[in-house]
Amino acid sequence: MNLQEQIALVDKIREHLKKVMDPELNINVVDLGLIYDISLVEENAVEIVMTLTTPGCPLHDSIIGGVKHCVLELEEIDHAEIQLVWEPAWSPEKMTEAGLKAIGR
Amino acid sequence: MIVKNTGSETNIKLPFSFIFFSILALLISQFLILFNGDAFINGHFRIPAIWSAAHLFILGWALMIAMGAMYQLVPVAFLTPIWNEKFGFIQFAVTAVGVVSFAIALYIIPSKALIPGIIMLIGIIMFLIQMGMTLRKQAKPNILTLFVGSALVCLFLTIIMGISLVFSMKTGFASNYYSILFHSHLLLGISGWFTLLIFGFSYKMAPMFSLSHGYEMKQAKYVYGFYSTGLLFVLLSFVLDFSWLFKCGFFLLLVGFSSFMWHIYLILKKRVKKKLDLPFRFALLAIIFGEMIHLLAFIACISNQFASLAAPLIVAYIMLWIAYSIIGYLYKIVPFLWWTHKYSHVIGKKDVPALKDMINEKLALPIFLSFIFGILLVSISIALNGQMLFYIGQLLVTAASIVFGIAILAVIKK
Repeated sequence: MNLQEQIALVDKIREHLKKVMDPELNINVVDLGLIYDISLVEENAVEIVMTLTTPGCPLHDSIIGGVKHCVLELEEIDHAEIQLVWEPAWSPEKMTEAGLKAIGR
Repeated sequence: MIVKNTGSETNIKLPFSFIFFSILALLISQFLILFNGDAFINGHFRIPAIWSAAHLFILGWALMIAMGAMYQLVPVAFLTPIWNEKFGFIQFAVTAVGVVSFAIALYIIPSKALIPGIIMLIGIIMFLIQMGMTLRKQAKPNILTLFVGSALVCLFLTIIMGISLVFSMKTGFASNYYSILFHSHLLLGISGWFTLLIFGFSYKMAPMFSLSHGYEMKQAKYVYGFYSTGLLFVLLSFVLDFSWLFKCGFFLLLVGFSSFMWHIYLILKKRVKKKLDLPFRFALLAIIFGEMIHLLAFIACISNQFASLAAPLIVAYIMLWIAYSIIGYLYKIVPFLWWTHKYSHVIGKKDVPALKDMINEKLALPIFLSFIFGILLVSISIALNGQMLFYIGQLLVTAASIVFGIAILAVIKK
């Protein structure tokens, strides 16, 4: 896979992750700014670095599981590794325009 | 810092067992109060039916629901799984048997309430062991641990004093201290256990439901300092019988509560979510009610009117601060519990409903308004001895309780 194809696949994954909604805020994880990094570690394997809005988020397991299931739905991906990090901490500045609009800002 | 999956979600059957039991207890307690209106408005609170209703409401509803909510909230707020879920189910069964038999004994033969009271005591001690063992596993204790831990200590002392009261009534043991025990039982149960618990979890839930970010937590230690010292002063005033200590204690409780309200306001000023959900706004309204009642209680203290106003103030405090906070937060917690059970494994695979679609939010407004007006009417009727006001108020509260129960039960159909 050349560089352009890799960039296209990362964009596809990011777009596909918009299916994963935070049920409390009703905003997807991408627009909420929870996805920090998507990198292809091998041809069919992806590593996603992400965070949550707060360390004690009750939806912790659900959202992480959702991100993994969602990525594995893509035929190009056979293996997904999700790394949850607290640093850098999430802040509203990480939200997209669409995310801020959805939350009434 | 990379974080591993917490795996801290509790088996849904455990919190739901408590929630279903508590809704039943709420309905029965409200009907009992409705059918014993005469005694209630005449201030005859120490009659078997009112005892039974009050304990069914406080223990069967508020305590059981607090326990159920803690089985779900403690793992997420303190990032540690429940110590032993099987022990939790046994604890539920023992406490439920204790609460039901205690309420029946108080209604029929109060002198035989000791054994049911002991069963209930065992259930509550089992809960304290469960929470103690769970909190012990927390990697980094914080100010929330202090609030919740202190609330649990107050619960323990409340129940020990409650059993001592029953034992004293049956045997005459420590009868000279009956009044001290009774007042301390009320103080630690209402302001110690419930208020400290609501403070602690509000610090978790208020930022979560408002998506507040970048707020400070240093004010929480002043809230804790003022409120817990106030509790200690009032408690000592019962023992030493110093009225200045009583007044100082109520002043500190007012300062502590006001600091809490101010702190929550500061947290909400940092919120990202502009429009807050209706049930959460009602839980916030409960804080304003709590503040007003603390202020009224302090004014009653310094004007030496507290004894005559204690009953309506306590009823208003339990209903408008404690019950209202619980109902507001429960409207958020129950949909979350059911959503997690039903949809958490399909998130990312197919479309899932939002949490606010899990419960009928349109019912929230009539439920919460009926509670407010109903409780206000009941409190005024006690102060003024007004029979008609009482029945209108209590009918509103009972109707709101029924609709609330239906709204909560309807969640499991989603």
